[in-house]
Amino acid sequence: MSFISLLGIEFKKIRRSKILWILLTAAVILWIPSILNAEMNFQMQAEGISPEHNFLIQGLLGMSWFMFPASMVVATVLLNQTEHTNKGLLKMLALPLDTTRLCLAKFVVLLSLSAAQIFMTVGVYYVSAAIATRTQNYDFLLPPLFVFHKVGLLFASAIPMLSFFWLLSVCVASPAFSVGIGLFSIVPSVLAINTKLWFAYPMAYPLFVITSEYGKLASNMETAPVRLFPWIPTAIVLTASCLLISCLFFGQGERK
Amino acid sequence: MSLTLEYKKSKRTGCFPMFAVGGAAAAAFPVLNMAFRSDMYVSLQDSMLQTSVPQNSMLQNSSVRILLEANWQMMAMVNILLAVLGACLLYHAEYADNAMQKMRTLPVKAGRMFTGKFAWIIIMYFITLTVEAAGIMFCIYRWFQFGGEAAAELLQSFGYSLLLALPAISASLLIASLCRNVWISLGIGVVCVFTATMLPTSHFALSLFPFAMPFQILPGTTKTTVYHFMLAAVLETTALSATELIILKIRRLFE
Amino acid sequence: MNIIQTTHLTKSYSGFTAVSGIDLHIPQGSVYGFLGPNGAGKSTTMKMFLGLTRPTSGSFTIDGKRYPENRIEILKEIGSFIESPAFYGNLTGQENLDIIRRILGLPRSAVSEALDLVGLTQYRHRLARKYSLGMKQRLGLAGALIGKPPILILDEPTNGLDPVGIHEIRTLIRSLPRRFRCTVLVSSHLLPEIELMADNIGILNHGRLLFEGPLEELERSAAAKGYPTDNLEDTFLALIDEDNRRRGGAR
Repeated sequence: MSFISLLGIEFKKIRRSKILWILLTAAVILWIPSILNAEMNFQMQAEGISPEHNFLIQGLLGMSWFMFPASMVVATVLLNQTEHTNKGLLKMLALPLDTTRLCLAKFVVLLSLSAAQIFMTVGVYYVSAAIATRTQNYDFLLPPLFVFHKVGLLFASAIPMLSFFWLLSVCVASPAFSVGIGLFSIVPSVLAINTKLWFAYPMAYPLFVITSEYGKLASNMETAPVRLFPWIPTAIVLTASCLLISCLFFGQGERK
Repeated sequence: MSLTLEYKKSKRTGCFPMFAVGGAAAAAFPVLNMAFRSDMYVSLQDSMLQTSVPQNSMLQNSSVRILLEANWQMMAMVNILLAVLGACLLYHAEYADNAMQKMRTLPVKAGRMFTGKFAWIIIMYFITLTVEAAGIMFCIYRWFQFGGEAAAELLQSFGYSLLLALPAISASLLIASLCRNVWISLGIGVVCVFTATMLPTSHFALSLFPFAMPFQILPGTTKTTVYHFMLAAVLETTALSATELIILKIRRLFE
Repeated sequence: MNIIQTTHLTKSYSGFTAVSGIDLHIPQGSVYGFLGPNGAGKSTTMKMFLGLTRPTSGSFTIDGKRYPENRIEILKEIGSFIESPAFYGNLTGQENLDIIRRILGLPRSAVSEALDLVGLTQYRHRLARKYSLGMKQRLGLAGALIGKPPILILDEPTNGLDPVGIHEIRTLIRSLPRRFRCTVLVSSHLLPEIELMADNIGILNHGRLLFEGPLEELERSAAAKGYPTDNLEDTFLALIDEDNRRRGGAR
């Protein structure tokens, strides 16, 4: 069976799960304060950032600090529970399937869900920017290429974090701990981005990248620039080892 | 009696250790923070003594205030997540292997399960807060002066935090009791926590959102505001619990 | 005296009727066999008795009590086992029963008695989610039998058991009215099984009650209608077949 058709099956499994609604709700709630406090974007002279840039970047900061990582923890719970309630996974393991590919297919589903939420966020961003444009009589809309460049960075920097969450959901049998560790690991990322060792903490990557973009857009603000070394090698090693371990352990609990 | 039942049911779900470990992790925030930046915070106390603050605010000059103002945002975040996750897990145990159906065929009032779980989460939450208070106490002892006064302030502060957590706990339980699938209740809970993080704590009306209340701290808040928050916490908890009981009644009509 | 009685009990969902105006009479102290193919409405009827689903119209009394006014009083008298076993996977068999025992306010000994009754004593310390299908089934039965309730509602209790287990459970059910002076309502889609356990039977097809009465009467009325009677299984099949044909070939 090809990887693509395996993916098709994995997507079918999460039909009617209402996960997209949850992801969308989070995206909508993200932008509501931005619409309500749109006039605050004009008071950013100290930072030296233009109102339309500030509008986008404040939303993305809110997204990358908690809403996006937490939504992804919920998504791993979904992927995990669909297999474990009624022992779906046991059936899967009894079929002529390569478990490594099955595990990777599920990870791709997780990546797709994260991409879906990012697309939704962009969609809601344009709606709310359009509303703010009308209420404030000022053009808040940014060119799509600019917006997609920022969210593209956000998505790419989130991959190591997603692989860590995936590792948790595969290897930690008790949902209390897999979800607990996932959610609580998000909280200190605000602290982590201010330390020199931020590159060792994948949960902080998206927030770090967006903060650094903020610094680039705000002329009077000094934020730490993204240095590709040692970040990228560390990120690759972390991602690869998380995926490797989760593939090795995938389905082990059922095989005992 | 229903409390011991809920305790028994939550065995091996990892719920209790999660609250304890979560508390320990949250308690580590102030300790680590002080370990790295103690000079800054200790000097804050001196500057506080010199500046005048509104006369009627609570615990204005205390070390408790410095520590909570510096760390409570994160600690509260952990606490609320614990409440949400705890509620999801307790109800997940009911739904996972259909035990809920068995429970509903037993001669018990429908609301008993809710009240039992509520009481059990309050106890676990209390333990979490105790561990966190111990962390703060350690910081005061190590970097400030610890005495009877500080202990009393700590007690007041954390008592206030426990009361203000009740709306969030009852709301989480309400959500979890309505969702058969754990990711939906967890998803809604996470969205609520996220909403709460975006509400400014200084805005009274917005802070009344159940999941935003635990971010409040006692020190530095005026007495009137404190009373308002306490009253609001009691009212919200009552309203949310009543909603749960009404929903349980109505839901039976549609099955 | 009828301990359970229904009048025109009906349950319809949007688009189809699961139970259609049935009048059941279940005498006290007997085993009543509830018979019908899959999807006939047996489980739905039992769920209505337990307050798990609300009748669309019609009513029923259990030991003179009505639903929904006396829900708690009714449930105090019933031990039930519905569809797939319901339990806490994170608890052992014994712990699962202990929870039910506490809710019912029974003495500690009730748990070991129930475990003993269904033959689970040996596995009482094993997590319920690690039980085999048969053991889960026995655990469900123990949860119904615990405290010797005056009424037992058992939905296909022998599902998933091995032949020895089936025989054991059948004998147990058969003996219950005598041992604990209780009434048993037991459902099955297998006539031979009901034949071995029940005093009275009710046959349900597509939500309608086709027959109610003692087994001998089924034989007599079948013979009168010209159905085969030398084998009860054939009688049952002919009855269902005839009903399906009358309904316009719908199965």
